[in-house]
Amino acid sequence: MALLTLVRPSFYQDSVALLALARELRARPDVAEAAALMATPANRELLAQAGLLTAEAAAAGPNDLVIVIDAAPTAAVPARARAEELLSARRARREHGGRHAPRTIDGALRRMPDADLALISVPGVWAAAEARRALARGLHVMIWSDNVSIEDEVALKQLAARSGLLVLGPDCGTAYLGGIPLGFANLVPRGRVGMVAASGTGMQQVAALLAAQGEGISQAIGVGGRDMSLAVGGLMTLAALDALGADAGTEIIAVIGKRGAPAVRRAIETKLRAIGKPAVVALLGADIRTGTTHGITTVATLEDTCGAIVAGSRWSPRAFSLSPEDVRRQVEAARRGLPPGGTAIRGLYAGGTLAHEAALILEPWLGPIDTNMAPRPQPLASSRSRHQIVDLGADEHTVSRAHPMLDPTLRLEAIAAAARDDDVGVLLLDVVLGLGAATDPAGDLAPALEAARGRGRALAIVLSVIGTAADPQGLAGQIARLERAGAWVLPSNAQAARAAACIAGPDRVMNALLTENSP
Amino acid sequence: MIGHAPRASRIVGVSRLGDSAARRLAAGPRVIGRVHSVFERAVNLLGADGRLLTLHGPGPLAAPFAVALDERLPWRELEPGIPVHREGRGRLVLGALRLQYSAAQVVDTSIGAGSDPRALAAALAEGPRPPAAPSLASGIALEGRRRLAEGLRRRDTERFVDGARRLIGLGEGLTPAGDDLLVGSLAVARRFRPDFVLENPAIGQALANAAREGTTLVACEFLLEALEGRFSETVIALLVAADVPGARVALDDLLALGATSGADTAAGMRLAVEAIESAPLVAKAHR
Repeated sequence: MALLTLVRPSFYQDSVALLALARELRARPDVAEAAALMATPANRELLAQAGLLTAEAAAAGPNDLVIVIDAAPTAAVPARARAEELLSARRARREHGGRHAPRTIDGALRRMPDADLALISVPGVWAAAEARRALARGLHVMIWSDNVSIEDEVALKQLAARSGLLVLGPDCGTAYLGGIPLGFANLVPRGRVGMVAASGTGMQQVAALLAAQGEGISQAIGVGGRDMSLAVGGLMTLAALDALGADAGTEIIAVIGKRGAPAVRRAIETKLRAIGKPAVVALLGADIRTGTTHGITTVATLEDTCGAIVAGSRWSPRAFSLSPEDVRRQVEAARRGLPPGGTAIRGLYAGGTLAHEAALILEPWLGPIDTNMAPRPQPLASSRSRHQIVDLGADEHTVSRAHPMLDPTLRLEAIAAAARDDDVGVLLLDVVLGLGAATDPAGDLAPALEAARGRGRALAIVLSVIGTAADPQGLAGQIARLERAGAWVLPSNAQAARAAACIAGPDRVMNALLTENSP
Repeated sequence: MIGHAPRASRIVGVSRLGDSAARRLAAGPRVIGRVHSVFERAVNLLGADGRLLTLHGPGPLAAPFAVALDERLPWRELEPGIPVHREGRGRLVLGALRLQYSAAQVVDTSIGAGSDPRALAAALAEGPRPPAAPSLASGIALEGRRRLAEGLRRRDTERFVDGARRLIGLGEGLTPAGDDLLVGSLAVARRFRPDFVLENPAIGQALANAAREGTTLVACEFLLEALEGRFSETVIALLVAADVPGARVALDDLLALGATSGADTAAGMRLAVEAIESAPLVAKAHR
């Protein structure tokens, strides 16, 4: 190994830059150690203890920057050149007025004094303090972070309500405000539909389906998955509904989420009646009674939300948008090679609400479904049902790793595991496109799906793609790639779940679904 | 030396400045000094007396020797070496820049004695602990921290100074991590054990000498101010917070400073609070 030293007399660089420089040098191949320190006596002693005190470093003074690199002879000189390059680049950036991202809310406000919303995406333990800071400055807040305590959520929302502000989230993945998509969001046109959603992927599914029907979004306000719980009391759902009621661009309102607390559901209904605009409510639960009263239509699936908005009073739910013949032909093709009389479904989802919706659709037809989702998560390792729906975006799967909408690793492993399980005959998936999602989700999944089907046994793959023609990934290309991998791609998650039920269940399930009968 | 002197003069208001900065500007000679160093967010001025003044944008004073301007610093117009002088009563001239400070709010950056460290202790114990600088885990630093804590706990001046000397100038950053840690400890000591620092002038003398010889100009300035009982507004806000939620917010602000400067300062505060809290009963009675 060789020791090389770079001394910059009276050179002043901020700490962030020096730490980043040392980190980058250490990450280079064949560099064993790199230090970038002011040459104070204490630091010279530190260098000596680490065997890095060269004669040049020993001669430097407290206001001199010293960089010492311990590397293989062939790597040391290029590493020192890189160090010089980094120091010069930073200075040049400063001298040429390069802009840097603000590091505080106040800094951002100075940059953009007319901003009225702060999007907070910091680790959960920090998020509440940042949100308080933003609210104190009169900003609406969107909290993308999860792992914010329920106590903090309630306190923040009460503070916001007193100040006439909105808190979107915590764990709010998607919003459209003033025509601007925030977070994970599909590119959809502006239009007349205002949404309040306690679900990011639920909002995306409805927005994408509406876009396919030529409908657009006026405002879509995510409130976080816990807002409709008794503890939070729907504080922001109700505030968001007030905002949509007052918004001239919103002609019809959709409320999307899981079932929520009964008291909150009643409060939402009362609020919608008071607002007086037509509304569609999709609070997904097993005992939801669908129908229309006082201009409020209650539906059971995300797709039905879109149908009720588009068709209005002419709407009636349909199991499939394909013809019964097409469904039957596809189901029979998918069943080829599967054991007669039924097989197990393994749902591997990136979207939590999509997973919840799939379980709600499957259970009446196939019996109990094991899931890792509230309100009754099952211990999947000791599964009792042969059918499983797994929300891979749930907290227990995203500790120290990116969400499966960004990082497919976990789902690829789960697909391989399902392929090795001879009991599993149907894979049920969601693929989410749009801003913030992976750049090529179909390209990520397709090889794993092909490998799963190439194991010499039958395996049906059923999925839906949540996306629009305007999304950067290219909706048509993504669907084509997945179909080439052997997937049956359906227009919505609800239809994908029903298709999975048709394949995995006995014939009577398909017959009933195709004749629009109840389970 | 005058660098690229801009053609047009520009006046920028000063919104706030620390009391010691105000005194130095009022009492100093007409020629203040020169621009010492220029950073993305701050400019340091080196006075003829060898002391620093730091100019930065709007917001809390980042140092007791800081001057906060009404707007983001127009740093592109400055270069190290530009002379700085005073014009009339209340205007600083740096090349083509004129900083009007006559109407600025003078902020008291001194810290008074307090008796109840519970809010601070709870915030430090329960709040986030982002990693401090790696050098603070080195053998030299650990020994220095141990002696510093022991000195404070036992009111042992010699041990306290010995620990502090080991930390001065140690570690990463323009203000080395050891100095940040020491400033945090001195802040707590000044607030909750003021007699220990004030009744032992040897501490101030020894550490001031060690700082002048052993660390960077900027870190030295922080230490000299700390030894005189003056701290940044961020540190003061945490020390005087009346309750735990207030202390948590102040701690968040502190931790956001620098790469690890805030975390290193908080580590020093934690060390000092724990030392005071675990002090022998006889020593505690002095509080």
